[in-house]
Amino acid sequence: MYARVMERITDVAIAGVLWGFRIAVVLLVVVGSALTLGGGRHSAESWLSLIVSGAVLGSIYALIALGYTMVYGILRLINFAHGEIFMAGTFGGYFVATALSGIGFLNLNPITSIISVVLMMAGAIVVSVTLALLVERIAYRPLRNAPRLVPLISAIGASFFLQYTFRGFFGPGIYAYPTVGILDAQVPLGIEGFRVKWIDVLVIVSAVVMMAGLFLFVQRTKLGTSIRAVSEDKATAALMGIDVNRAIVMTFAIGAAMAGAAGVLYGLIFRQVYFFTGFVPGIKAFTAAVLGGIGNIPGAMLGGIFLGQVEGVGPTLFLSGLGVPSPNQLRDVIAFTMLVLVLIFRPSGILGERVAQRA
Amino acid sequence: MALLDVDGINAFYGNIHALRDVSLSVDDGEIVTLIGANGAGKTTTLNCISGLVRPRSGTVKLAGEDLAKVQPHHIVERGVVQVPEGRRTFARLTVDENLRMGGFTLTSEANLRDGISRAYDMFPRLKERRSQTGGTLSGGEQQMLAIGRALMVSPRVLLLDEPSMGLAPTLVESIFETISSIHAQGTSILLVEQNALMALNVAGRGYVLQSGQIILSDTAANLAANEQVRQAYLGEI
Amino acid sequence: MRNTLRWSAVLTGMLLVLAACQPASSGSPGQSTAESASAAASVDAAAVCAADEAGCVEIPSGEPLHIVFWGVLSGADSTLGEDSKRGVEIAIDDINNTLLGHDIQFSTEDGLCTPEGGNTAAQKLAADTTIAGLIGPSCTDESLGGMQTLYDAGMTTISSSATRAGLTVPDRPAEYAAFLRTAHSDYFQGRMVAEYLYNELGLKKLATVHDGSGYAKALAEVARTHFEELGGTITTGGDQAIAKTDTDMSAVLTAIAADPPDAIFFPVFIAGAGYLTDQAKDTPGLEDALLMSADGTFSPDYIKAAGPAALGHLISSPDTSKFAAGYQDFLAKHKAKYGGDPLSIFHAHAYDAATLVFAALEKVALTDADGTTFIPRTAYREALYASKDVEGLTGPLNCNASGDCGAPILAVYKVTAREVGPPVVWPPEAPIWAPEPDFYTK
Ligand SMILES: Nc1ncnc2c1ncn2[C@@H]1O[C@H](COP(=O)(O)OP(=O)(O)OP(=O)(O)O)[C@@H](O)[C@H]1O
Ligand SMILES: [Mg+2]
Repeated sequence: MYARVMERITDVAIAGVLWGFRIAVVLLVVVGSALTLGGGRHSAESWLSLIVSGAVLGSIYALIALGYTMVYGILRLINFAHGEIFMAGTFGGYFVATALSGIGFLNLNPITSIISVVLMMAGAIVVSVTLALLVERIAYRPLRNAPRLVPLISAIGASFFLQYTFRGFFGPGIYAYPTVGILDAQVPLGIEGFRVKWIDVLVIVSAVVMMAGLFLFVQRTKLGTSIRAVSEDKATAALMGIDVNRAIVMTFAIGAAMAGAAGVLYGLIFRQVYFFTGFVPGIKAFTAAVLGGIGNIPGAMLGGIFLGQVEGVGPTLFLSGLGVPSPNQLRDVIAFTMLVLVLIFRPSGILGERVAQRA
Repeated sequence: MALLDVDGINAFYGNIHALRDVSLSVDDGEIVTLIGANGAGKTTTLNCISGLVRPRSGTVKLAGEDLAKVQPHHIVERGVVQVPEGRRTFARLTVDENLRMGGFTLTSEANLRDGISRAYDMFPRLKERRSQTGGTLSGGEQQMLAIGRALMVSPRVLLLDEPSMGLAPTLVESIFETISSIHAQGTSILLVEQNALMALNVAGRGYVLQSGQIILSDTAANLAANEQVRQAYLGEI
Repeated sequence: MRNTLRWSAVLTGMLLVLAACQPASSGSPGQSTAESASAAASVDAAAVCAADEAGCVEIPSGEPLHIVFWGVLSGADSTLGEDSKRGVEIAIDDINNTLLGHDIQFSTEDGLCTPEGGNTAAQKLAADTTIAGLIGPSCTDESLGGMQTLYDAGMTTISSSATRAGLTVPDRPAEYAAFLRTAHSDYFQGRMVAEYLYNELGLKKLATVHDGSGYAKALAEVARTHFEELGGTITTGGDQAIAKTDTDMSAVLTAIAADPPDAIFFPVFIAGAGYLTDQAKDTPGLEDALLMSADGTFSPDYIKAAGPAALGHLISSPDTSKFAAGYQDFLAKHKAKYGGDPLSIFHAHAYDAATLVFAALEKVALTDADGTTFIPRTAYREALYASKDVEGLTGPLNCNASGDCGAPILAVYKVTAREVGPPVVWPPEAPIWAPEPDFYTK
């Protein structure tokens, strides 16, 4: 009896705390935003700039997040080495870019610049996919039937291994992408105080195109459907005549290709790449995948875009009105707080419910 | 030479010796049933044939060819298709997509469409639900889907693992009718069942599996008449 | 099971949040005065070691003498650590790899330029009883994280590049008795920047950006404070911060552009400075703002990171043109050994730190009949603090009671087309401005 009552009280207390937490967060966001917008210190143009930079970041997160979510979907494995696959892509793109820049092809004229970017993407994708397949073959496949923690540890090991291999080959220092003139130029919008560069357009457009292509592939083609079938039930998929290993390899390859392409886009915007470049974007993209509902492909896209906006606009919108000094320093705090909130209140992610319904 | 020939297989799960010297065969055009209690090793036997479980010794041969080194998906290509226990339709794939997966090894779109329309002819209910996901179907519909999916590739040998499990009596009957009609169209069938009465009814021959060993093998009629079988599997005391 | 997974995921998330918060703490003030007992030149090593509060490092005959450099050796700022490490290596070469009759065994420990990394590195160092001399860390943050551990272990370290003013003030926390440096104090660097911008260039409005590190935060503050003392103003929103991991600076730059300053001083590290420089030129309102960073970015990697936008960028840093005569020799050795020019600006300071370490070790070492060398740890620390008129590459070295050993010699550099390349050429030929000598004594 007494135990029952105590249990009840604990339940109520926990629920109370969680609700309080929810209300506090909502209040903070609402009041902070109201104060910021009411303060009027930021012009419409600067909001637009923040939204664009959020969209650019979000596109990159989304492209990387797809790899996490697809591999999780098919193997129930968090592929911690995926950030390094992305990093490898940045390097692949870098070497193609410097080679092209060295022979004067990169900025010869707009056509060669566009061809160069395509070649960089191709180079990055080749590097990323090759590495991802090696990692799958060496670090994950032998452990396919081991307890779930084992491949997870192997994944962390693979991540470190790749980081330090790259460090070994390319040293600890920075490599910088050469500037691609036409991408560095501004889109002539004619709006005073608001600028968009062609690279921003390229990032957003290519992310959208790649994600749409992936979505169609997975939804509409036989191979794509087989990936979904293997995600659901490997044994039964094998009984249908599906080559399960091939489907898994293909999943890794697609995820890695997206990450490789994202690597080039990242390099073109942020210029600097080094062996540790994959770490932060990797964690952020993983966060995005969880936000969207890990295992869910549209969820990863949505999660990435959403996280990008939260990071781009969030600190200014929520915090600057509250008088928080240098709110942008807290960008990561906001991102990871979101992760915690989602894990507490909606562990299946933003699109999680749809999955539950469909299952 | 039998179409499907299982010869003295021993299968293990870790230290569990799940099959002990199991031998059975299915001739061209036969329905053979394998009956046994829970945990007897029926599913394990089918999985050894499909290549999901590899026997430690003994052989599985299809038309004389050893399947020991053939991968599960290639076994399907060779014409041995299993409808797994519990139906295992893909819950997140639509009915249509489930059927397409059944026809994964078909190379031409025409064959695929053909298979799908055969499945819908056999199970008109599925056609109505073609764009619904597998998870939203009733148990009976899922069984239809599972069978229709397996028939996509027109198998030479169909392995059915407890197709009547968990279905209402009327549905059980219609499933057995379906099995008979598939057989009538020339497909050889290995039918695993706990519902021994019905199984022995449609089958020509049968095997009784107990604790991983074949303890009886005879014609269906003789088995149905067998005292031991009647006591153990037909609910008679 | 499900729930366990979920909650452990929540916990992980919270840890990430905490990690992202990463407060740069500064300890409470304490008092430390090096005790003035000098190591008795007794041959009875056992007695000396027993009397020494922190005991002795023992180096059996035939065993190597262990010297360690700790600092940032991986990540975007690794050139800072690598540069210093090379300085130490050349110093070791210059004494033919032997000290006190032992071969020198040189190793490194990565402190990652963070408090956590510094702490981890310090734990490892403290656990290694073979270490005779310690040079490092690279970053202020590493010292913030690791000093207590080193102090507790009775060790002493001398840094070539941790410059935060508070590390060597008379009322620094007690554990900083374990810390000396050959690098300048940012008290001078911050003031010099303010004087250059206000007095020399006549700029009136300043904004600063730091990255939450102990170094950047303090240096930006010194610059802001002194700029205001001189009569300048800090713009609204002119005290900004980024996270060390940020790559997208647009929000910070947009915030600064709301009240455009004449100059933005961002004494952050290479990666962040690169992003800021590159992205500032695309921020409406900041086209004309002068951009300036500090010694942490005096590296070819900064030019690579910033790209063409680096042209015209200002960097405050030690003035190599006023280093001692031996510096040219050092550069030649560097080129011979590593096939290029130094990576950053603190190699000479690191060489000097090593010189002080060698001298102090020689002063306090005892050898017993078996040929075992003993280094009494407390006596060694006192010997370091007692260093006087040691000839260094950066100038004469004189350690004071609060741990400053080098004379600050700073200047302002400007990045020109020669450095930007491509290919990137480093270092710049000469500083464009330096304060009057009396600046350091005022
Ligand atoms: N994956 C597995 N790991 C370990 N043991 C297993 C596994 N699968 C089956 N077994 C064991 O092997 C034996 C045979 O199992 P099997 O599934 O083949 O029986 P079954 O005859 O199909 O039973 P049911 O009628 O319940 O489906 C059982 O004792 C079972 O516990
Ligand atoms: Mg079974």
